[in-house]
Amino acid sequence: MKKTLGLLACLAAIVGLLAPGVSAQETIKVGIILPLTGAQAAFGEIEKNSFEMALEEINAAGGIKGKKLELIFEDDTGKPEVARSAAEKLINKDKVVMLGGGYGSSETFAIAGVAQQSRMPFLVNTGSADKITEQKWDYVFRLNPPASDYPGGLESFLTEVVKPKTAAILYEDSNFGTSSSQSFEETCERLGIKVLVKEGYSKGGVDFKPLLVKVKQANPDLIYMISYVMDAALLMNQSMELRLMPKLFVGGGAGFTMPEFQKNAGKAANMVFSATLWYQTLPYPGAKEYFDKYVKKHGKETEYHGAEAHAAAVVIADTLKRAKSLSPDDLRQALSETDVKTVFGPVKFTAYEKMTNQNKLPTYLVQWIDGKLELVWPKDVASKPYVFPIDWEKIWK
Amino acid sequence: MEVLIQTLVSGLLIGGIYALIGIGMSLIMGVMKIINLAHGQLMMVAMYITYVLFEALGLDPYFSLFIAMPCLFVLGALIQKFLLNPLLKVDSILPENQVLMTVGVGMVLTEVIRFIFHSDYKSVKTSYSSSAIYMGEISFNVPMVAAFGLALVLTAALFFFLLKTDLGKSVRATAQNTDAALLMGINAQWITVLTYGLGSALVAAAGTLLLPIYYLFPDIGGPFTLKAFVITMLGGMGSTVGAILGGIVLGIAESLGATYISMMLKDAVAMVIFLLVLIFLPGGLKTLTKV
Amino acid sequence: MKSSLWPFLIVLALIALFPVAVTSEYYRHIFIISLMWVVIGSSWNLLAGYTGQVSFGHAIFFGTGAYTAGLCMTKLGISAWWGMLLGGPISLLVGLVIGWICFRLRGPYFALATIAIGEIFRLVTTDWRSLTEGMEGILIIQTFRSKLPYYYLAFGLAILCTFGIYRVMKSKWGYYFVAIREDQDVAEHIGISAFRYKSLSLMISSFFTGTAGAFYMNYMAFIDPHVVFSLHDISIMAILVAIIGGVGTMWGPAVGAFIMVWLQETFRSAFFGLMPRWVSEAHVLVFGLLVIFVIRYLANGIIGDWPKIKRLWSKDRELSYSSSGN
Repeated sequence: MKKTLGLLACLAAIVGLLAPGVSAQETIKVGIILPLTGAQAAFGEIEKNSFEMALEEINAAGGIKGKKLELIFEDDTGKPEVARSAAEKLINKDKVVMLGGGYGSSETFAIAGVAQQSRMPFLVNTGSADKITEQKWDYVFRLNPPASDYPGGLESFLTEVVKPKTAAILYEDSNFGTSSSQSFEETCERLGIKVLVKEGYSKGGVDFKPLLVKVKQANPDLIYMISYVMDAALLMNQSMELRLMPKLFVGGGAGFTMPEFQKNAGKAANMVFSATLWYQTLPYPGAKEYFDKYVKKHGKETEYHGAEAHAAAVVIADTLKRAKSLSPDDLRQALSETDVKTVFGPVKFTAYEKMTNQNKLPTYLVQWIDGKLELVWPKDVASKPYVFPIDWEKIWK
Repeated sequence: MEVLIQTLVSGLLIGGIYALIGIGMSLIMGVMKIINLAHGQLMMVAMYITYVLFEALGLDPYFSLFIAMPCLFVLGALIQKFLLNPLLKVDSILPENQVLMTVGVGMVLTEVIRFIFHSDYKSVKTSYSSSAIYMGEISFNVPMVAAFGLALVLTAALFFFLLKTDLGKSVRATAQNTDAALLMGINAQWITVLTYGLGSALVAAAGTLLLPIYYLFPDIGGPFTLKAFVITMLGGMGSTVGAILGGIVLGIAESLGATYISMMLKDAVAMVIFLLVLIFLPGGLKTLTKV
Repeated sequence: MKSSLWPFLIVLALIALFPVAVTSEYYRHIFIISLMWVVIGSSWNLLAGYTGQVSFGHAIFFGTGAYTAGLCMTKLGISAWWGMLLGGPISLLVGLVIGWICFRLRGPYFALATIAIGEIFRLVTTDWRSLTEGMEGILIIQTFRSKLPYYYLAFGLAILCTFGIYRVMKSKWGYYFVAIREDQDVAEHIGISAFRYKSLSLMISSFFTGTAGAFYMNYMAFIDPHVVFSLHDISIMAILVAIIGGVGTMWGPAVGAFIMVWLQETFRSAFFGLMPRWVSEAHVLVFGLLVIFVIRYLANGIIGDWPKIKRLWSKDRELSYSSSGN
């Protein structure tokens, strides 16, 4: 008797567990692939939080054609082959109507390959190697600027304010790092800046001094670094230690805008510039509200990666609303006709240079000024005037 | 000239930490004749202990040495007692069973830590993390100098332990000839447990000293495991002085490689040196080639 | 002997019919990856399990095969499918050179040398951008939209590899290999050239691993040095796959491959979404624990120690009425 009762209780528990799945109203499923574990989990977390915030807003505003939007998150663990498996699972098993996410360039590539092959619309929101949208793949759309556009905001700053003659480029040997370093070198050539040192490094080095000492000897006006958070902090700490004093340090996005960079580099982070794609005070509708809400909800600051994710969710919802049906081709059609304003800026997919289905946005320059990340260029949107020239002796004292 | 000197100084200082990583491995390899492929992972665990102590109690990493080292000693001893020693009795096709077990142990340590702390980067930022002393233009990073000094102290302590104490002599006897040691009434099982514990405690010291200038995440162990056996081979197994030399040679080789060849290939430089030593300098290797 | 072949044929037939019965591309995908690992695990097993040379560097061959296929496309302008033909032989040549360097070392030293060479391959391919594109990787477009061609290709490759190794092990070579594993000095004494037969074993092993690498390029359509030359994800996984299934057994690596891939995918996807999210974070942990368990209690792997497992099972049941059996 006891046994039967126990069994019944178990059954009830199981039914109870399954019940919400059964009784829940029908949803529209979209798959989002992000690095939720692995070395880039910090970025994945910011993006996932932002996706979820946007999702709440979308569903609170009535969802999509009366149905609720559901985001299914998959973890790519920062590995392309896992990203591929995740995409396969979302498409074939979960039957999502479209894909989003894509953080690392390599993982984004892998997902894009599956998406194009399976004719599944895929909206990239962070993976930024130029090649991703240079394949003429009609199911792959990109909301964020490609890596070659990252230093766009920096360019006018260099020509108008700094006027450097020489530069050094240090980059992580990742996909993003390599392609960014390439395009910055081209930028330098165009601006007549001589690149004295251009060198890659593998993630996870303890001691960058041998590299930095070489840079110090070359004595460039500008040091441009493409690094993730911890390497960025180490590079700046060790530059400070070696008294490496160029006119300015500039980070090429990625790690240099993260709050953790400032936390780890301490005073060595001060006055460091970074290219960025977004800043909370930009005159985009909802940008500031999103930033404040994020800080309130999660107790820490968000930055451009989060804004990209939030915008991606909005674009996805907008596409689903406008599409004639949820068939991949109708969705692709709707996606290509996107014209929507997001916290990340206006989104509209065009073809330029060698790229297709690419959203074109201006990029900006931020600077860490006394522990706060401030937008400093272009001047008309700046949140604080830039600090230049910089007296390193005083700042590093 | 300044470039060369600074490169050498950097290499020397990082070499001190490498030595501390290598010395535990050298000890383990000398006594047990196994490659401990969980070595870097043990270091990683020690770093997390130090990190937790710092975050929770605000304990300075240098004080954590007194907690992390005993903890790792116990962890290492347990691994040896319950996972590695029982394998001696197991009949298996490959003699490398213990080595493969350390791979499994390393994997589980990494994943358990990942499970608890997730993959994101952690760091311990102390007031002295980036302070440096200057001699002319050349900078000496203070935590690295401290680590170097402590590495020398710990090595000396180990050296005297092995040379002067009865227990140390038993360890050396077991390293030289396990069977003979057994005949002399040495409990070889116990010695291996002790040795693995000591090796783990030493690498714990390395991790703790590294933390103020570095950062940590669960996968940090792998690359340091590689460095550890490179050092051991360079210096000759079981040799404490050899490990110091091996560490410094590796540190300087990497630094020179990074400055004069390419930062990206510095690890390849280390691997090439390692291969060359393995093939052309088998002096230190002879003792083990009885397999 | 004949009767023991039956269960095996049934398994083969089941695998052959699987994609017909299961149309989900997702499960087919997992099967394809499993079959690829059968090839890698079995190849490693030939060199280590049968010949006694524990390699920690099979990623070298896997990566060489994958890059051969990739470079066919990017440098020669021909289809990456040529890699399926060229990847094996080129890996074999690489294997020959590595054997020439490393086979003078024994036991753990051989293992260490292969780790070092594997790392050198990874670092150099990362740095050698003009040839390999470095970390930007090589991207191609899959030839087929359907998974079926890949499935049967992987299946064919797995059969070719396991049967090839089976034939080799039944031949005179096989006895030499095992003789070297058991005692290299004795083997040399009775006139077996250890160097020659170790090289042969390595060549066969690297050939199949390289072909698997070329298949990976064609199927996954994206490679970079850190993926295909990975010490942890390829070299060590190859070892663990074989250990789980059973080192020195014919079907052990195959069983190990399926266990590894399915276990990881099951946990990574949190039991296909049935379990809470945090379960997925344990996807490597569970596998690691299994590895420790197997090495500790089933030293010869699940296949090698199958009689032991069976005995344990039956002991539980029979113990109650025939405890004096032994």
